[in-house]
Amino acid sequence: MIRLNATTAGGNDAERETGAERLSRLIGGGWIFLLLFGLIVIFSVMRPQQFGSSYNLTMLAVNAAILLVLSIGQTFVIASAGIDLSVGAVLVFSSVTSAQAMLWLSGTPGGTYGTTDGGWGVICAGLAVALVSGAGWGALNGILVAYARIPALIVTLGSLGMALGFAQILTGGVDVRAVPELLVSEIGAGTIAGVPFLVVIAAVVTIVAAIVLHLTRFGLHVFAVGSNAEASRRSGIRLRTRIVQIYVLSGALAGLAAMMSIARFSTTTIGGHAMDNLSTISAVVLGGTSLFGGIGSIAGTVIGVFIPIVLLNGFVILGIPPFWQTVAMGAVLILAVWIDQLKRRARERG
Amino acid sequence: MTKKYLLFMSAALTASFCAGSGNAAEKSVALVLGVKGSPFYQALACGAKAKAKELGLELTVSAPDQFAADSQVPVVNAVTATGPAVAAIVPTDMQALIAPMKQLSDRGTKVITIDQTIGDSSFVQTQILTDNEAGGKLAGDAMNTLLGGKGKVLVITQPPGSAAQDARTTGFEEELKKYPGIEYLGPQYQSDDPQKAAEIITSTLSAHPDLAGVFSTNDQGAIGAITGLKQAGAAGKVKVVAYDAATAEVNAFKNGTIHALIAQNPKQEGEVAMEAAAKLISGGLLDKTTLTEIVTIKAGDTAAAEKYEYKGDCE
Repeated sequence: MIRLNATTAGGNDAERETGAERLSRLIGGGWIFLLLFGLIVIFSVMRPQQFGSSYNLTMLAVNAAILLVLSIGQTFVIASAGIDLSVGAVLVFSSVTSAQAMLWLSGTPGGTYGTTDGGWGVICAGLAVALVSGAGWGALNGILVAYARIPALIVTLGSLGMALGFAQILTGGVDVRAVPELLVSEIGAGTIAGVPFLVVIAAVVTIVAAIVLHLTRFGLHVFAVGSNAEASRRSGIRLRTRIVQIYVLSGALAGLAAMMSIARFSTTTIGGHAMDNLSTISAVVLGGTSLFGGIGSIAGTVIGVFIPIVLLNGFVILGIPPFWQTVAMGAVLILAVWIDQLKRRARERG
Repeated sequence: MTKKYLLFMSAALTASFCAGSGNAAEKSVALVLGVKGSPFYQALACGAKAKAKELGLELTVSAPDQFAADSQVPVVNAVTATGPAVAAIVPTDMQALIAPMKQLSDRGTKVITIDQTIGDSSFVQTQILTDNEAGGKLAGDAMNTLLGGKGKVLVITQPPGSAAQDARTTGFEEELKKYPGIEYLGPQYQSDDPQKAAEIITSTLSAHPDLAGVFSTNDQGAIGAITGLKQAGAAGKVKVVAYDAATAEVNAFKNGTIHALIAQNPKQEGEVAMEAAAKLISGGLLDKTTLTEIVTIKAGDTAAAEKYEYKGDCE
């Protein structure tokens, strides 16, 4: 529990800290935001009509939406000193069960290629199936971590394979052939007051998650479990229940992301999402959440999700060879974790 | 921090002046490959670059990290923002790429597909592709010749869902029906994983020690197949027909562990795409599909193997 109070304790000692410590505390706090801001400024200045166009900025937000929802779940897991490698596979599994349920419920083909005439009732049923599928995998992860005491890395690596395998068994490896036209046109491509529906969903999830993580007892418990599991258990937190709840949350958000993915791609993308787990982990870590648990923020994760997406987009627009983007992303990630270490050291001294 | 930040900003501004203006010119062409780092797509890009230079087109090449829709769509979106005159795209999914590519077309860019196809081609100017089923048939004929008309044959391919790979398998199976002496053991699946392909070969050899031939529908399967055959001491004895002409396959071909290659011509695909782009820019019309070359390279013909080898040998 000591680390929970570290920020306030550090504040009292502020006048005693040296210049180097002060610098590392400052860049630890806001540098990642400056990095994102700097990237946007550079790309906007170099290609104002192309990068800065409202079309491109909208597309950046849409590209971030699905990964953001997954990363929010990952933030809770990592803040509690866990890890969830299964998010991408759970997304694929949930999209398969949901799309198959919707195909089974709806009748005739829709107006365009690869769609059905399924209505809102069918879509709500599909959403329920996706959320339940995701939460189910989350519960399995949580129970194995909390009760069987298998390391989270191994549990979620195992469920990654199982979820993907079951998705392939259910479909024979072929993407589900049709999804409701309404889902694709209204949710996937639709807008509310000019803002894409997918972005609205991601924004709502982000705001609710920020409130839960930073302002509720559940959120406090997440940090406490991540900071020191044994101490939090002795201070009366129902440790195992909390761990299961955290993984269920991550799984359910993967289920929601699955629905968003179906709406966006109008298919189940079984072959895709292979790197989603690493993308979300790097986004969460870039955002300042510690891989060792106990420290983290939703706002940081939002920025962490946008950095690689802005980098990719900017590099493509500038016409920089594709391999350099991979190099740049790797370098940024290592830099972020190094700065995280500096921050921790500064805090431990303060 | 503020000082640092100002430095950063001024550096950015300087960089932008040096980089010059990048307005989408009338001759700008974007090429979006299927995946980064594949020799096939690198060769395609090389062909395209050389041709674009010759025709005076401004070509930009980009590619996603994985051969998957969720990885490629953001790249297509970014290309859309640059508003090129023509975009040539290798769509990684029949369905998922329809919406973003349609959007690209709606914003005034002329769209071409290369190598792979898309479910709704109404807005596509031309589809540049090879006839994969015909390629599978060529492989069936080559296998029959190699085996002298009899023996057990296995196919190593990707799990169903990739239209190109499925068509190669179908073509091969169709052709084998003509040859009653050949016993077809059916397809086995690997997902671009040589390790898995090697395991398939060794376990098939345990079940069928008299396995006579293997057809792999892509290079990763072929590399794994010859690894498995070497491991089992059957390399050279079991006849291997492989799709594509990646460097590793060409080397194995020269060493006599692969006995026939069914090669596409990615450089030609890139060149044809740029010719099509130039035609579109000057207002010309194109046929709905443009087929590119596919050849069988028979055992011993190393000159042809070297000619068709997939090489990204350009800057």
